[in-house]
Amino acid sequence: MKNIFLTLTIFCSFSLSCQTADELVSLIIRKIELVKDYSVSANIKADIPLIKVLPVNATIYFKQKDKFKVVSKGIAILPKQGFTDVSSFLSKKGTYVSVDGGLVVLNGIKAHIVTVIPTVENSDIVLAKLWVDIKQNVIIKTDLTTRGSGSVTIDYIYGYQVGYALPDKITFTVDVKKFKMPKSVSADINNTEKNKKPDPNKSKKGTITISLTNYTVNKGISDEIFKKKD
Amino acid sequence: MLLKNTYNEFIKIIAKPRSYIGLGVLTALILVILFAMKADGSSYISFVTASFEQTLSFNGNILNGNLIAFIILQMLIVHIPLLVALVTGDLISGEAAMGTIRMLATKPISRTNIVLSKFIAGAVYTLILTIWLAFLALVVVKWMFGSGDMIVLNSSGLVILQEGDIFWRYGCSFIVAYLALLTVSSLSICLSAFAENSIGPIVSTMGIIILFTIIGSLDVTVFDSIKKFLFTTHMASWRSFFEDPINLKDIWQSIIILVVHNILLVGIAVIKFNKKDITS
Amino acid sequence: MNEPIIEVKQLAKKFGDFEAVKDVSFTVNKGDVFGFLGPNGAGKSTTIRCLLSLISPNSGSIAIFGQNLSSNRSQILNNIGSIIEKPDFYRYLSAEKNLEIFARISGSDSSKKDIQEMLEFVGLNGRGKDKVKGFSHGMKQRLGIAQTLLHKPDLIILDEPTTGLDPQGIIEVRNLILRLKTEQNKTVVLSSHQLSEIEIIANRMVIINKGKSVIEGSVEALVNEQELLLQIELNNPENAIKLLATEYPNLVVKHLYGSTIEIAVEKDMVPKINYLLVNKGFEIHSLEPKRKLEDFFMKIIQE
Repeated sequence: MKNIFLTLTIFCSFSLSCQTADELVSLIIRKIELVKDYSVSANIKADIPLIKVLPVNATIYFKQKDKFKVVSKGIAILPKQGFTDVSSFLSKKGTYVSVDGGLVVLNGIKAHIVTVIPTVENSDIVLAKLWVDIKQNVIIKTDLTTRGSGSVTIDYIYGYQVGYALPDKITFTVDVKKFKMPKSVSADINNTEKNKKPDPNKSKKGTITISLTNYTVNKGISDEIFKKKD
Repeated sequence: MLLKNTYNEFIKIIAKPRSYIGLGVLTALILVILFAMKADGSSYISFVTASFEQTLSFNGNILNGNLIAFIILQMLIVHIPLLVALVTGDLISGEAAMGTIRMLATKPISRTNIVLSKFIAGAVYTLILTIWLAFLALVVVKWMFGSGDMIVLNSSGLVILQEGDIFWRYGCSFIVAYLALLTVSSLSICLSAFAENSIGPIVSTMGIIILFTIIGSLDVTVFDSIKKFLFTTHMASWRSFFEDPINLKDIWQSIIILVVHNILLVGIAVIKFNKKDITS
Repeated sequence: MNEPIIEVKQLAKKFGDFEAVKDVSFTVNKGDVFGFLGPNGAGKSTTIRCLLSLISPNSGSIAIFGQNLSSNRSQILNNIGSIIEKPDFYRYLSAEKNLEIFARISGSDSSKKDIQEMLEFVGLNGRGKDKVKGFSHGMKQRLGIAQTLLHKPDLIILDEPTTGLDPQGIIEVRNLILRLKTEQNKTVVLSSHQLSEIEIIANRMVIINKGKSVIEGSVEALVNEQELLLQIELNNPENAIKLLATEYPNLVVKHLYGSTIEIAVEKDMVPKINYLLVNKGFEIHSLEPKRKLEDFFMKIIQE
């Protein structure tokens, strides 16, 4: 009896820590699908080479499957890819394969690496590497390589909405190597800023940090919000 | 006597049809820009943000009144000097061409006062033109396109200024832009003191502006030492208020150079006009 | 005792190498209508422009109202009204507005009523609101005179005031100048290249030629000093010439045209010649003494 209990305990712990990549993705999707819609207050902080912008407050609206809207009084900068793309990509079952990448500890959290590779040709995402918190079944980090927007790294920190896989803080690290200033637009009559030309050796990575508070989940959101123009 | 003749100068400027050309052209130019922005402003914006758009998305009312006011200022800074010179270049030489300079100079008012009153009148006309520009750019444009944060594309990159942080910048930039236009006014009045017809000073003023602008934009070391003393180099200093952080040292340097230009040009005009034999 | 209003001494002005005025001196007394006579290019306008501080002389002195012009410019100009060559106005303004503008800087606080009265004085009543661009040259000239008088100056300087006017305009302006003298007791300096104009209007004059003042004095005296050309229309002019040659061998007599002969004579010879011809039975149809001032003027300017 004692041996059977021991065997069961070892099996269970093994199976917990050694879930397959597909199983993990399924667990993540299940969590994602719990959220039909949400709205959340966001504070968006961008630190991107060549762009100077102060933090902006905004409200983010999301509705399944892919309705997404940022409403801000000011101008808010977000990464082109990465906010809802991972979840909508994972939701399309059968369009990708997931590959187990092993266990790691990331920021003190035990995580399972899953690499997701699309199997359809027209997918914008070329490769997604996910770090999944095996305890909470949420993604804590993503490395996203896209066809059109370069690579984006996304770090997630969760709080009280972890049950819905909704983070309190997301940090996007974007590739800025393609940024070039259009001369004709910026050219002054007399450029008085000769010494301020961008330094080519400067960091090529930019970060956008979004702090999210006051989630309202599954309370219903009118479609009108998503139709409104800025 | 200075005030009385300044009042006379205002009457003349108000009565002259050419004084309204500037205001009319300015209004027309702005209306054209507004029409273009209303019709196809998004393509202009995507041109500004093109290099970031692959990676980033800009959310919010980007094409707002604040940005369009900036675009208008940027586009028109080349043209407004011509509109200023059209009136101010005529202030002394126009009187010589018309023959009224004889009448003026035989009155018990000193020649210095005649020139100074013309400078004051020219400065007020330039101010009216600047205020009209500010009114159209800030009030009318904001009424049409709304307000909001402002994207400014400088050679050092994009700066996004928050809505509440913009109005004072426009206030200051209009003051510096006015000072630059006042220098154009002073230059054309100064040239006007040397001429007997209005076309000469107007064309010469634009010629000098074009020449100095070309010298200022040529990346040739031989001109480096004089570039910072050319008033045209400082005509775009109003833009500096839309930098972050603002380089106050550069702005003050521009203000000082423009003020010195004005004093010199007024001085030259006064000396020339006092020594001038009126033979027309 | 004549009170000098303008005293010009040895005035000279060069424009580059060209000496426009070499040596001009004259005095204008209070109450004079002073003629400033000379051919075109004699230096009249340059001298007048110097009087009004439009041009700075190279040498010489100008005193007006007993004060040096260069050091008391505003004070002196306060009491002078002037028209140089032609009166030019702001074409885009009305006559009234033009007068207002010039009055404002002439040191006078002319009211609308003053302006209306002045427009009436020069015969432009009812045209005050009209823009000057619609005015004829004569109307502008009269408006110019209104402008010179509005601040009630003691001295009026008019440079070629009748140039370009039609005969009626010339008479109107001439009458206006005479009224300034008779009704307002103004001192008037008047430049002209027309001797007849100066003869009619001025009581004193200076003739200048090639930048130099040649002669100055009373118009009457200058006119009387000169010989007369006596033109007589009579029957049998050939016999009359023979008779006069016999009686007065020193006289120069010539057959002018038709039945008219011309004799250069002193003024006191005119009645004697008339008596002689009538006594010898000649029928005299007309006898007209012509002054030789014009010849004198021509002689001066040709020297």
